[in-house]
Amino acid sequence: MPRPANRAPEPASDPHGDPKGILARATGARLWKDHSLLLWAHFLVPPVLAALVVAATFATPILAGILAAIVLGIAAVSARGLLSRLSQTEEARLALNTQLIQSQKLAAIGELSAGIAHEINNPIAIIAQEAEWAAHLIGEAEKGCSADFAEVKDSLREVRAQVDRCKNITHKLLDFARKREPVLQDVDVVRIIEDMARLVDKEASYKNVTLVRSLPQDLPKLRTDAPLLRQVVLNLMTNALHAVDTGGRIEVSALADDEALEICIKDNGCGIAPENIDKIFNPFFTTKPPGQGTGLGLSMCHTLVDGMKGKISVASKPGQGAAFTVRLPRRV
Amino acid sequence: MDINILLVDDEADFVETMVKRFGIRKMPIDSAKSGQEALTSLAAKDYDVIILDVRMPGMDGLETLKLIRARAPLTEVIMLTGHASLEAGMQGMNMGAYDYVLKPADFDDLLDKVRKAFERKQLNAKARKQGA
Repeated sequence: MPRPANRAPEPASDPHGDPKGILARATGARLWKDHSLLLWAHFLVPPVLAALVVAATFATPILAGILAAIVLGIAAVSARGLLSRLSQTEEARLALNTQLIQSQKLAAIGELSAGIAHEINNPIAIIAQEAEWAAHLIGEAEKGCSADFAEVKDSLREVRAQVDRCKNITHKLLDFARKREPVLQDVDVVRIIEDMARLVDKEASYKNVTLVRSLPQDLPKLRTDAPLLRQVVLNLMTNALHAVDTGGRIEVSALADDEALEICIKDNGCGIAPENIDKIFNPFFTTKPPGQGTGLGLSMCHTLVDGMKGKISVASKPGQGAAFTVRLPRRV
Repeated sequence: MDINILLVDDEADFVETMVKRFGIRKMPIDSAKSGQEALTSLAAKDYDVIILDVRMPGMDGLETLKLIRARAPLTEVIMLTGHASLEAGMQGMNMGAYDYVLKPADFDDLLDKVRKAFERKQLNAKARKQGA
């Protein structure tokens, strides 16, 4: 099967580092390797103390009793520590696994849909050409006779319109499956948000929606890909605008910590049903009526944020709106 | 370093003013009255940044953008629009425009964006050279 040439295969593992590193960062714990001394102590100290107890039994029973109590205490504390650390690691591993499966699934769906889009593009082009040719032939035939071909011409026009719709979708798919290397520049995030918000403002005012900006003026500059960030911000704001009803409210905020810069776009619209939360970033997933959304916007955002080495997440309670958070690392 | 800039807009008055204002800053710019003319200019000269009006008679800004991106992928495009159309804005950004400026454009703001777009073009060109 021929494939788009500019598509590199997705790596199987997380692109942001080896899983062990991620696990360590996720749990805030160091790896067992770094703890080898502690581990040795953990296993060796109780038996040594126990031996001491045995030895002490021969001297005085009271000393032996005290020593035994201490040994038991130390063993219990140490066992508890080990247990909690183990369960912490297990939890982190599970969370990581889910995350990994999710991102692999997205990558697989993305690749599959780009493959299909590529394959379908050619037949679509031929259908468009043939429809045009047929319209031309009918035009010629119409000149020579009195028959009315209006209905046929109408139907051909509809074929053209629907083919254009298909083409639109395949192009969008191919476009966002294309991996663009990010170009890093110092970016004023507040200004980018402000610029994109101005673009949304007018449309928002038609719907009587308030677009509130809570942007600190001292936000540090971020080294990232400016047009990619603009695309993400604009897509998320548009998404929020579609989610709210007349009179709704959208709030865009940004903040920075030592490691990352976070942009949050929150709306008070219909929210996302719990069963849809997991699917929200899947390509083609949409809750809009057929023909009104391709279901590619959020999935594209996910791909773009991934390209910027960031993370996008969503929190929502049905009926209480949704909040999308984009977290971008300050050092890439 | 000189930046090769092309301004594409069908409003003659606006173009004239912009050419003058860039001229005062010692930044000579070329202009085109339509998308078609822009593509002809692009074939003759390697532009760094193209400032492109969205709404033009004939070939519109988005159509022109698509062709510019295909023919000169390194050239950065800043979209310019008199009416804030969200849909056109989204399409423009998704088709690879560098930035979006609403008319009436603040000149210093536009200049700043042109410089940033140029910086990106240079970074991109350097990355390609290293990659090749």
